[in-house]
Amino acid sequence: MDFRSKLPARRVLWRAILLLLSFLTVVGCSRSESAHERGVVVVVPTQSATWIRHFNPFLFSQARWGTVGAIYEPLLIYNSAQGKYVPWLAERYGWSADNLTLTFDLRRNVRWSDGQPFTARDVVFTFELLKKYKALDQNAIWVKLRAVEQRGDFQVLVHFKEPFVPALFFVGESPIVSEHAWKDVKDPITFRDENPIGTGPFTRVKSFKTQVYELGKNPDYWQPGKPKLEAVRVPAFPGNEQTSLAMLRGEIDWAALFIPAIDRIFVDKDPEHHGYQFAKVEGTVMLYPNHLHAPYGDVRVRKAISHAIDRQLIVRIAMQGYTDPAPATGLTDLYAKYKDPSIIEEVGDFNKHDPTRAKALLDEAGLTMGPEGFRTHPDGSPWTVDVNCVAGWSDWIIAGQIIAKNLQAVGINATLHTYDFGAWFQRLQTGDFDLSISWSTTGGPSLYTYYHRQMSTETVRPLGEAAEYNWQRFGSKRADELLAALAKTNDLAEEKHLARELQRVFLENAPALPLFPGPAWGEYVSTRITGFPTQENPYAALAPYKQPGYLLTLIELEPRAKGTH
Amino acid sequence: MRFLLRRLGFYLLAAWVSLTLNFLIPRLAPGDASSALQARFQGRLEPSALAAMKEVFGYTDAPLWQQYSSYVNNLLHGEFGVSVAYFPAPVTEVIGSALLWTLFLAGASVVISFVLGSLLGILSAWKRGGWLDSIAPPAFIFLGAFPYFWMAMLLLFTFGFVGGWFPVRHAYSDHLTIGWNAEFLLSAVHHAFLPAVSIVIASLGGWLLGMRNTMIGILAEDYITMAQAKGLSPRRVMVHYAARNALLPNITGFGMALGFVLSGSLLTEIVFSYPGQGYLLYQAVKSQDFPLMQGLFLSITAAVLAANWLVDIAYVFLDPRTRR
Amino acid sequence: MTFFVDLFRNKKASLGLIILATFVIIATFGPLLVRDPTDFLGDPSQPPSARFWLGTTLQGQDVFAQTIAGARTSLVLGFVVGLIVTLIGATIGIAAGFLGGWVDDVLSLLTNVFLIMPGLPLAVVLAAYLKPGPVSMAFVLILTGWAWNARVIRAQTLSLAQKDFISAAIVSGESRLRIMFFELFPNMTSIIVSGFIGATVYAIGAQVGLEFLGLGDVSKVTWGTNLYWASNNQDLLTESWWTIVPTGVCVALVGFALVLINFAIDEVTNPKLRSESGFLRVLAQVGATAGFSTPVAKAALERTPEEGA
Repeated sequence: MDFRSKLPARRVLWRAILLLLSFLTVVGCSRSESAHERGVVVVVPTQSATWIRHFNPFLFSQARWGTVGAIYEPLLIYNSAQGKYVPWLAERYGWSADNLTLTFDLRRNVRWSDGQPFTARDVVFTFELLKKYKALDQNAIWVKLRAVEQRGDFQVLVHFKEPFVPALFFVGESPIVSEHAWKDVKDPITFRDENPIGTGPFTRVKSFKTQVYELGKNPDYWQPGKPKLEAVRVPAFPGNEQTSLAMLRGEIDWAALFIPAIDRIFVDKDPEHHGYQFAKVEGTVMLYPNHLHAPYGDVRVRKAISHAIDRQLIVRIAMQGYTDPAPATGLTDLYAKYKDPSIIEEVGDFNKHDPTRAKALLDEAGLTMGPEGFRTHPDGSPWTVDVNCVAGWSDWIIAGQIIAKNLQAVGINATLHTYDFGAWFQRLQTGDFDLSISWSTTGGPSLYTYYHRQMSTETVRPLGEAAEYNWQRFGSKRADELLAALAKTNDLAEEKHLARELQRVFLENAPALPLFPGPAWGEYVSTRITGFPTQENPYAALAPYKQPGYLLTLIELEPRAKGTH
Repeated sequence: MRFLLRRLGFYLLAAWVSLTLNFLIPRLAPGDASSALQARFQGRLEPSALAAMKEVFGYTDAPLWQQYSSYVNNLLHGEFGVSVAYFPAPVTEVIGSALLWTLFLAGASVVISFVLGSLLGILSAWKRGGWLDSIAPPAFIFLGAFPYFWMAMLLLFTFGFVGGWFPVRHAYSDHLTIGWNAEFLLSAVHHAFLPAVSIVIASLGGWLLGMRNTMIGILAEDYITMAQAKGLSPRRVMVHYAARNALLPNITGFGMALGFVLSGSLLTEIVFSYPGQGYLLYQAVKSQDFPLMQGLFLSITAAVLAANWLVDIAYVFLDPRTRR
Repeated sequence: MTFFVDLFRNKKASLGLIILATFVIIATFGPLLVRDPTDFLGDPSQPPSARFWLGTTLQGQDVFAQTIAGARTSLVLGFVVGLIVTLIGATIGIAAGFLGGWVDDVLSLLTNVFLIMPGLPLAVVLAAYLKPGPVSMAFVLILTGWAWNARVIRAQTLSLAQKDFISAAIVSGESRLRIMFFELFPNMTSIIVSGFIGATVYAIGAQVGLEFLGLGDVSKVTWGTNLYWASNNQDLLTESWWTIVPTGVCVALVGFALVLINFAIDEVTNPKLRSESGFLRVLAQVGATAGFSTPVAKAALERTPEEGA
């Protein structure tokens, strides 16, 4: 290190700059981001930092996307856009007259990806596996099932302990695995199934890296001419922003994203090829009052709180206008065929933003304005309201902030409290809260599951005991009667009638206060791939993360024909 | 040698304190850790399934002392538990993929920052009052005052989003495979460039000033005067006499700096979605994956301790006084 | 006491103090003069305009009001944590350095262990478990930040303890506690002030970092949570730079101001670090001209007043 010149400082500095520039040039020239071959759809259904090779379909929320749907298929798939079941591995299904047996007639030309034929034996084996390992039975099907019987090679009978029609969804959408590949698996709970053998359209794991994996086409797929794509590629994208940017640059074809100002940022960039669908079919986000904490047991108080909330503002600010205020029944578009606006008119709409009515109801309930400018309990003691929310869930937090402000406007001393998930959930489950924002859970298209979890006396737990659902702890005998009848029937007219009555109970009692339906996010870019459900042709759900629902869309995708736009 | 052994003993103690803290923290916090499982399934998990899951994760009701000894025992056998977010992958597998990238990014950044900073510091001190000395220290101090991640966001925005000259995520191009080939290595460097630059900019000032101040102190020493009196060239004096001695105190800071960067690069990795340990830790926090979180904390601590240990060994080689 | 006089005369310190004072005034009175930062007032994602000086967020909130309100919360927490960290560091450092023996061994070990543990990951893990809020934040920051000061002060104590006036105090029978508080502590003012400033810089920076990750209470308005929302709202994607730049600049300015003051302290206590012009002035006082580190210059330096007692 012996410099020749008299100014070592300058020399060194210039050398360093030269080195840097040459490096940048070399690097800049070698830029080639994505090799986006024809016939490959790039989809980002969930965000993750890294991928672990895991294709066990029973742990469907842990397994890689594609496991349930592209690799392992179910007997039926529910099309939430059209509101009906699509027969898949089963050609036909039907209930017995007493609704105690569900019969599936299986398709005959289906083969597993290793060539073996798909038969009823595989279906029975799958359900027996769920019975043996409770941790795999994530929908607790076997609480209702008595037995599963095989009749010949292509018919399966599912016997129930008592009529329970809503189970059709859970039984029908269960992924089916092959007996010959799974019978020797020692521990199915921790089995990673790294080389799955399925009946689906993309069963071959072409490549698997921590940043991206690719599923290749199954050449012997049972639907003739399908799939029309060669492969599905799933990169690991870590955040919304990165994914949105990649979509804008055409590196991704299909994703589930929250994009702010989506029309300006996404659609306007290429209106012909950029589209989205935010179907309102996920659980309803609600404000749950704790009926066992005074004064929330009083229906007037609950309805007053509901009237005070400005749902339009919440939807506009917290959800960017991507959804609508929920109806007072709490029903989303998933239950479209049961929605009946006339019942809301008949009983009264407690979701209407009406601060005057709110104040009147509160006064009527004895919660009048106190000397300090806030309402007090009837005995004069101060009334403070805590609104609980999960730390880090920004849309809920904004909603909570608006709710707190709305309540203060009618004289309620309300504050928003955020807790990390564990603490928040524990409080919710054990009834240690006043008001809490939370979701309602969907369990398929059956209204039974929804209202059972909101109003059945079976789901009520005392304070201090963890409740799985019905955190508000409301039970109605009338609702129990209606729900019991609903579980036994599959006659649509009867269902609608019972549904209407259940909505009446909900509207009269306001057990929980619906805020807005959760949207199922889906966006597409059709410059390379066509066949997506569009606004003009919404044949299926666009949201790629709904398993196995996305399969209905995936199977229709094809490379854009050359020369078309 | 005794010095090295003493340091090793210290590091082992520090490791023990870390893992004990790691054990205690989740048990002091409110909330049932297994309800993180519930979060994964958005409330869809039925009670019987949840109970079965809990067993798999080892949430038991055994007394604290017993839990602690089995915890330590597991650690010594390399068992860090099973990740919740990436179930059923063991924590070690999830961490393994990220460790390499963190070491690459943090290591390269610290080395570049140290070399560049020290070089600039030496030059500043040599020509005190010159243009470099007037501009560089205040400029880099100001740049270093910006939060790490904010600088990262700015770079990401300007050169990644708007300019499009650099990738905005990941450690290498998706369509390449890991291997010792030019295309992959170049891609890796291309992806690491912006994150490294943001770390270097933020930390350069510290090295620069440290070196500069040490140099100034040394330049006033007698032996420097002696060397100049002997008629040695200024370059020789600067490099072989002053800089070499100024370097030594800064080497000890190197280990500490590596520690800071290994923990501070967490924020940079998050902004750039660079798949290192820091990024994984953030994801684990968001998804309430406590086993993974703790595993990451331990591995980061281990990396820091190991780095310091290596620096100590290097120091022994460089400073003959320790070899008595 | 001449220390503080010299400090105020120093150019760097003056600049730093002015910047800092500006922010303190903004933090104290600012929130009273601006709109409610949590109100959803305007159209979303508007660039700076006459009505909203720094534009609006995705939720339609006033960015200018948020920046001002954030100043108060961030600075208050930063200074409080800085103070506590300094006190803890001073107590442990002085105790370790002066009392020696097993006390020193234990405290030094404790200090070194905490020094070497990676701060941010520990902070992240802690913050993830604790209830979000200023108390938890303060706890996490103090736990991860106290060790640095302790080490520096211990080193200084060790060198001070050798001095004559300490020996004199010991011989004259002063109790050790008295010596620690009334002899050692006052003579380390510059180090302690410097440590306080360093701790505050760390506190503000780490706080902003943790809140950016979403580990603070995101429904409060602080500089860190402003950046959290900017990231959450994907403001880089929508090119809403006005939500990102102001906060970063503010944090940088405050940090810069504090660091300037620290340098000034360094320079005042170690004249060798003073700028060239100052150096020349010193030489002029003794009627000499500058060479580079000549014996004359050295002697002149020796004669300038050192860190005042």
